[in-house]
Amino acid sequence: MSRKLTVVLFTMLVLVGAMSLKTVVVTHGDGSVIMANGGGGPVPPTPWSNGGGGPVPPTPWSNGGGGPVPPTPWK
Amino acid sequence: MLGLYTYCTWLACSVLEAGVVVCALKRGAFRRYLPLNLWMILELLSGVSRFYVLHSFGFESREYAYFYYYSEALTTIGLYFALSSLYAHVLEELKVESYVRMAAVLLLAGTAIFSYLIVRQSAHLMSTRFVVEMSQNLYFVGLVLTYVLWGAILKLRETRTRLIQFVLSLGVLFSLFAANYAMRNLYPDLRWLWGSLPQLFDCFLPLAWCYTFLRIPEEARITPARLAVAPR
Repeated sequence: MSRKLTVVLFTMLVLVGAMSLKTVVVTHGDGSVIMANGGGGPVPPTPWSNGGGGPVPPTPWSNGGGGPVPPTPWK
Repeated sequence: MLGLYTYCTWLACSVLEAGVVVCALKRGAFRRYLPLNLWMILELLSGVSRFYVLHSFGFESREYAYFYYYSEALTTIGLYFALSSLYAHVLEELKVESYVRMAAVLLLAGTAIFSYLIVRQSAHLMSTRFVVEMSQNLYFVGLVLTYVLWGAILKLRETRTRLIQFVLSLGVLFSLFAANYAMRNLYPDLRWLWGSLPQLFDCFLPLAWCYTFLRIPEEARITPARLAVAPR
């Protein structure tokens, strides 16, 4: 029983250690993916990072229509 | 976008991966290190099929992106099991194979659950983002596991040179990728350099393993503890 608990503890420690390391690295990173890159071949951009290749549309809240920004009602 | 360098390193990597399997067969070590050889075959198949998809659909295509990240997830899982088999080799005298297997399955399940928890907010990206997140998380788990295994080798005074060479090569590979990622963030102006180095790193591991199978006999012994402790 104690051996099984040791295995579970070891697993948890490795998982927590790896995820903490990953969080630290990715937080300070440029948003690119870090992985083992096995099998060779050029790394494509991730499918969700503007995969279609078209221009990124403006966010709805950032003066998208181009008109003047109205004053906020509570001022 | 894809130049001669990309194709040369890709070809060299595939040839070296096939070379590992051939060298293992030649030295009669294929079955003894079966998970490592199966992983090499998986990497080779992954590389060849990526080449086919790339030439059928193009580098910018969604097909290539999806195929790349799905095959990457598969090969990373293969790498993870290859690493687990190295644990089983190092700890075989302790008769803990079943516990190693249990830990491997638990850790893989834990990593998958962790990855799911990260991406569950973006349900529409579940099929793509999950595999990338899981590959990335497994990479970090593999990194930590390799260093822990090196610690175990030193602690247990493992002397089998071949095994030590396998583990150290894996450690160097993981460290190279981590160092490259760090340098990319420190010096983003040299992005072209940091983007092209991983393809070269890919060749390192099969090259080191080819050398190990060819030049280091199974009976060779070394004392790694002496390497780690500095003489006073």
